[in-house]
Amino acid sequence: MRNPLSPAALLEGLTGSSYVRSLIAGTVGVLGLLGVLGFAFPESIAGDLAGIVFSASTGASTARLAAPIVLAGLGGIFAEKSGVINIGLEGLLIISAFVSVYAASVVGVGNAVLGVPALGIAFLAGIAASTFLSAVFAVVCIEFKADQIIAGLAVWLIALGLAPFMSTVFFGGVNTPNLGVSVGWQYSATMVVLATVGSWWLLNRTAFGKHLRAAGENPKALDTVGVSVSKVRYAGVLLSGVLSGVGGSALALSIGQFIGTGETMVQGKGFIAIVAYLFGNYNPVGTLGAGALFAGLDAMQIRLQQLGYAVPDTLVQTIPYVVVIVVLALVGRTQIPEAAGEHYETEE
Amino acid sequence: MNPAVHLDGITKRFPGVVANDDVDLAVERGSVHALLGENGAGKTTLMNVLYGLYRPTEGTVRLDGEAKSFDSPRDAIDAGIGMIHQHFMLVDPMTVWENVVLGNEPKTWGGLRVDREAAREAVVELSERYGFDVDPDATIAEISVGEQQRVEILKALYRGADVLIMDEPTAVLTPQEVEELYGVFEELTEQGKTIIFISHKLGEALSAADDITVLRDGVNVGTVAADGVTREELAEMMVGREVLMEPATSPQEAGERVLEVTGLSVEDDRGVEAVSDLSFELRGGEILGVAGVDGNGQSQLVEAITGLREAASGEVRYRGESMRGKSRRDRIDRGMAFIPEDRQERGLVMSYDLTENGILGSQHDPPFARVGRLDWGAARDHAESVIEQYDVRPPDAEAEAESLSGGNQQKFIVGREFERDPELVVATHPTRGVDIGSTEFLHDRLLDLRAEGKAVLLVSSKLDEVQGLSDRLAVIHEGEFTGVVDPATVTEEEIGLLMAGESLDDDSVEGAALHDAADDGADAGIGGVGADDEERAGDEEVDA
Repeated sequence: MRNPLSPAALLEGLTGSSYVRSLIAGTVGVLGLLGVLGFAFPESIAGDLAGIVFSASTGASTARLAAPIVLAGLGGIFAEKSGVINIGLEGLLIISAFVSVYAASVVGVGNAVLGVPALGIAFLAGIAASTFLSAVFAVVCIEFKADQIIAGLAVWLIALGLAPFMSTVFFGGVNTPNLGVSVGWQYSATMVVLATVGSWWLLNRTAFGKHLRAAGENPKALDTVGVSVSKVRYAGVLLSGVLSGVGGSALALSIGQFIGTGETMVQGKGFIAIVAYLFGNYNPVGTLGAGALFAGLDAMQIRLQQLGYAVPDTLVQTIPYVVVIVVLALVGRTQIPEAAGEHYETEE
Repeated sequence: MNPAVHLDGITKRFPGVVANDDVDLAVERGSVHALLGENGAGKTTLMNVLYGLYRPTEGTVRLDGEAKSFDSPRDAIDAGIGMIHQHFMLVDPMTVWENVVLGNEPKTWGGLRVDREAAREAVVELSERYGFDVDPDATIAEISVGEQQRVEILKALYRGADVLIMDEPTAVLTPQEVEELYGVFEELTEQGKTIIFISHKLGEALSAADDITVLRDGVNVGTVAADGVTREELAEMMVGREVLMEPATSPQEAGERVLEVTGLSVEDDRGVEAVSDLSFELRGGEILGVAGVDGNGQSQLVEAITGLREAASGEVRYRGESMRGKSRRDRIDRGMAFIPEDRQERGLVMSYDLTENGILGSQHDPPFARVGRLDWGAARDHAESVIEQYDVRPPDAEAEAESLSGGNQQKFIVGREFERDPELVVATHPTRGVDIGSTEFLHDRLLDLRAEGKAVLLVSSKLDEVQGLSDRLAVIHEGEFTGVVDPATVTEEEIGLLMAGESLDDDSVEGAALHDAADDGADAGIGGVGADDEERAGDEEVDA
């Protein structure tokens, strides 16, 4: 195997057909190099870094942080592939994060409703809230033909205002009290992997996947063979709501609390999710890789700070955005659906 | 025996318009039927009734004698009707087989999986049965336009179509591909399929159809057998009066050199070379036609000459002066008129009225501009004179450009550009979307300009047009002239070969490359009757 780190090989990999594979190979390559360096020089920064990267706690926190990014990213693929650009993923994560914690506190940890334990109810409530908001977004965009970008921003701003407000109403502060339980990282990791595999199958092997792609590329072609473009697009947007709901709930329940200060605990993960699926070229596996990469960097940054390195967290958080600019501008490999962002009007 | 398709007394009214008035149309099983007519004659509306897109106001659709009522295209498809639109309804990044089965995918695993093997098998089987040479695993983006059309036909056949409706099937094809399409027609009809195609091209109807029905103003003027009618008779049926089939060109003395292009290379938006090392010259009083399949560098050539795109290398000299670094405005001021390919994108501001559109490009100049302000009175007079001379309808200078039909927009642009009193006219598809009568008029105006000693670069995908009007005819293929021929002596087959990138080795090429002012183009043969590539656009406005 060629050295995946040589610039030529990397660029060729990025522009070649095995784009996603090379993305993963590159990540593995970086980690491998770091491991070797860390093993050879345990006292250096590389040693510390290796210690962090290969520590179980970094792994766990990567899984926790990756869940909202990957799940919302997968949702974003469905919406955008169908032709509706959903930049409101951030809002969907926020609303589901709050509602899941609220539902758990209403049910009461330890109690169950109809045999479903409180955390299960919390997930369902988070998913329902996110799906409801995405349904509103879908109606506004598909039925009333609003600008998708503006409607998406509205979704974000509504959730950003509403979640801390409701928290203040119900709990007397923008942060909810801690539930005292949390969902383990293993659950997050399992959900992410299952959702990735399921999404891949749905997109690439089912008739619905073909219809989704046609709706985003040439909706008229789909319409003329008798498949409703609107229905397919509604399905795409609602799926983005469902998946983001899982992601937002997983994020909040992994701590057991909703934090509503500033940008809330979601902190731009919905936007990084968009970056992740663009970076992964609308491929669920690539999105998983990109999401894990971004979450891993974030987790490392947190650990480095704990070890006393003055890593500017704000700078680390810009990495995904820098990456997407580089990918979109230099490589230009990402294939945005032809009709994404365009309204479709069927003939009579 | 009942006809396969019988449209019985179809009337379709839209608010304020009768698109079809009591039209009868009977098509025999296994035959090819051409539906011929000008812009807005109601051909597309009639076919949309048959395809279930519209419900007829009055009348009945009968298939094999049985009355049918379609609420949607889905019903029509179920009844065995397939429609192949002029603009293909294909998903570019998907493969041929995926496109063919789209919406009717065979499934396994309780619907959780598309049965790719079965789908591919069915597509292969169909294309073998009808002798189509299409690779089922190629993506649509990879295959030629002719193949894409066959994929559209496969789509219809896969859905069990017995009657195929084709809207302007030859509009996007090279002459060779047209021949292949006629072969496909034969193959299909032999196996019992029925074909109805919409056309405004007389030659096409005569050579491909068994029967021809002519529509005019929504009325069936008559149905005739293709072998019992002449081109002139058909033209008269279409227009309702006698039509001069060939533009009357006359010998013309070539004047001074107006345009000189040397070693011009131009890149397209993706940075791919679209025009390669092209050289030619154009003199006053001369029309140089450029023929070729769309997308072979015509757009980039024209843009480089008119200043809309920078050349990668080479030079454009206009009346002896290098145009390097000269802006679009410099070129307009020096008397370059331009009829753009995309009239809605570059020819007009759609939300401006005709008064405003009429001064575009001249807004700096008197009489419209006076000491820093616009004289709207003069602008209005100008727009009205263009409207009157070029028969733009509705004749209203305050009408917004977007309220006009495609053909009328085109007439207005042509009028505005010709009235600039240009030295050079660069005209791309000047009669696209214009009906026969107006086409005739625009052709005459082009010839008037030539007679006045102006130079004309005429780019058109209509062979008959470039052949009939040009003094010299250059054929472009992948950014290079594969030949510059004498339009009076060249045959359609020869042009077709050149368009496909082949070269001719006989002397006619050499002879015509020299400027030969004596040809009159009168025996160009095909006649300048091609009316329209965008009838649907016009029709939709009526229907709205």
